[in-house]
Amino acid sequence: MKMVSEAQRQHAEAMLEHAMPVIQLVGVSREYASRSGVVRALDDASFTIGAGEWVAITGPSGSGKSTLVNLLGCLDTPTSGKLTIDGEEVHAMSGSELDRFRADKIGFVFQQFHLIPYLSALENVMLAQYFHSMTNADDARRALERVGLGARADHLPSELSGGEQQRVCIARALINDPPILLADEPTGNLDAANQKIVAGILRELHAAGSTIVMVTHDPEMAALAQRKIALSHGKVFCHPVQHVVVKLAQ
Amino acid sequence: MFLRLLWESFARQRRRKILAGLAILLGVTAVTAMLGLATTIGDRIHQELAVYGANIVVYPKADTLDVKVGEQSLKPATGNAYLHEKDLEKLRGIFWANNITGVSPELRASLLFARGLDQRTISVDTVGLWFQHPFGSGITGAPQLHPSWHLQGAWPTPHPQVKDGQYAVVLGSTVAKRLGAAIGDDILLGDSHVTFDSTSPTPAIAADHAKVVGILNTGAAEDNEALLTLADMQDLAELPDAVSRVEVSAKTRPEDAFARRDPDALSPKDRDVWYCRPYANSIAYQIREAIPGAAAEQVRQVEQSEGTILERISGLMWLISAAALLAAAVAVSAAMATAVLERRAEIGLMRSLGASKGRIASLFYAEAGLLAMIAGVGGYVLGSVIAAALTASIFGQAAGVALSTTMLHAFNPVLLPVVLALALIVAVAGSTASIRSALRMDPSAVLRTGA
Repeated sequence: MKMVSEAQRQHAEAMLEHAMPVIQLVGVSREYASRSGVVRALDDASFTIGAGEWVAITGPSGSGKSTLVNLLGCLDTPTSGKLTIDGEEVHAMSGSELDRFRADKIGFVFQQFHLIPYLSALENVMLAQYFHSMTNADDARRALERVGLGARADHLPSELSGGEQQRVCIARALINDPPILLADEPTGNLDAANQKIVAGILRELHAAGSTIVMVTHDPEMAALAQRKIALSHGKVFCHPVQHVVVKLAQ
Repeated sequence: MFLRLLWESFARQRRRKILAGLAILLGVTAVTAMLGLATTIGDRIHQELAVYGANIVVYPKADTLDVKVGEQSLKPATGNAYLHEKDLEKLRGIFWANNITGVSPELRASLLFARGLDQRTISVDTVGLWFQHPFGSGITGAPQLHPSWHLQGAWPTPHPQVKDGQYAVVLGSTVAKRLGAAIGDDILLGDSHVTFDSTSPTPAIAADHAKVVGILNTGAAEDNEALLTLADMQDLAELPDAVSRVEVSAKTRPEDAFARRDPDALSPKDRDVWYCRPYANSIAYQIREAIPGAAAEQVRQVEQSEGTILERISGLMWLISAAALLAAAVAVSAAMATAVLERRAEIGLMRSLGASKGRIASLFYAEAGLLAMIAGVGGYVLGSVIAAALTASIFGQAAGVALSTTMLHAFNPVLLPVVLALALIVAVAGSTASIRSALRMDPSAVLRTGA
């Protein structure tokens, strides 16, 4: 990894400070009732993620990563604290408002792709359009071309390699132009070659201005992010910006 | 996209869909067969019980006055009070006119019968009746109301139509035996003032000539009677247009406590309800309203038998239908629970893409609905055929209904929307628990485990 000077690091931090926060957590906690009592899966988390930032969320199993991803993906709401995404207070939203908000603001990339097996690659992308607003095959085809799968649009998931399936998943996540891409172990099921392809696509998306929140166990993938948010026993530890300078230098 | 999702999703998990569809099909088959039978059984039982006679009898009102002094009845003789035959047309104008399946007016008198002059005369109760009489769009009369009567020969026709201007008469088997008369024989008949003695000062010429056209065997009172057409009887008795009694056969609803209420003591609203239900009592009430000077009442024995049988059979049918539908709903529930569980990752994905619970539920319900429609139509066809076969086998012999005839009328289009709605209810009810539990699952947990 290329070493950066203190001046470069401070410059990068200053850039991010001026970026509009697209995600903001203030004292966010999430508790679950269990037989042994109340479990605090996320404990008083406070941080922001700026627009266009690429953040890696890391931590061991049971550290609260899933809980944080559920909250950031609007699949769950905090027990206490304030969660603001793209300027809107998510913590106060009803179930149906969260559904609508999720369709508009979040693009999900899953470790296991989760493509509908009986729909073609194109139709899988159009599915996200369908639940968002209107389907448009041309737009969906362009999204597939963007991830290098224009020629495979009419293939079923079973006819695609793992890497190709993940690229379909990325195209589906991007089709509605969400401000946030939430990638949960995006390369966890891929071999080295496909991992490289997917990493390259994420890098391009980030360069194009996408905000990427990525959960990963893979240090190499985490190293691509500008910043790491580490979790341990539900507590959040934000690391300072260090890699952005590398990217900028590259 | 919805239709694409629906169709693709419908075509998958075939084994489970077939199981659920089969459960609905069997349930709908049972219900269709039961409903098909229930809609025809009333008519069939009515036809069968019609063998035992009419269920409503109409008298002249004066005839119903039962005046007694001590043990002595002072009831006026029937001869003094008659209904008018022409008034019977008014039966076609009552509220439940379409439920009247047969009408048989009669005029009775005691006549003297003899094989010939100087032969033994006997006094015979003679009844004038309708035979093959046009009424509304059909034919009615005593033979229609008494299908069990066994006739040798032919029913009488009005005497101007008989050769040589003779009256045509059907003799009860006992009367024929006593007279020693057979079909085709000429006989003499007259009222009690006529004598058939050639030496009598009263000329025998006063007697009328009649031809025996049939011998009737009923095993009942009719064996001791002679039958003429009503017109001939009115002619002989010199009572034009007179009718002493009318038997009415009507399709009625089983009698219940409400049927026995006095309509004139009911509130206007209840009276309307009572009036508009085809109880024998309300039809009799309407007949009394329509025919001046008439008293009408139900013949309780036949009416109650019909009501009791229908009540018991329809109760049993409802029970079988409810059990069949419940079993179908349970089977659908089991099949759908597994089917939905297998697709929880798909549900989780849809949730993550922003699909509301309602939208996902609508997809699954549409799938269940499609299954219900397909299985429902199959069940309707199968159930209708079974109902037709059952009708033919239960009532075939007695009602003269052949299987081919019932098959022709097997499909009652009114039942189709009813059974499809029931199939839909069963499918939706059977799927609801599975769909609700699937939507309650945490999508992120499902997506992370890759289920």
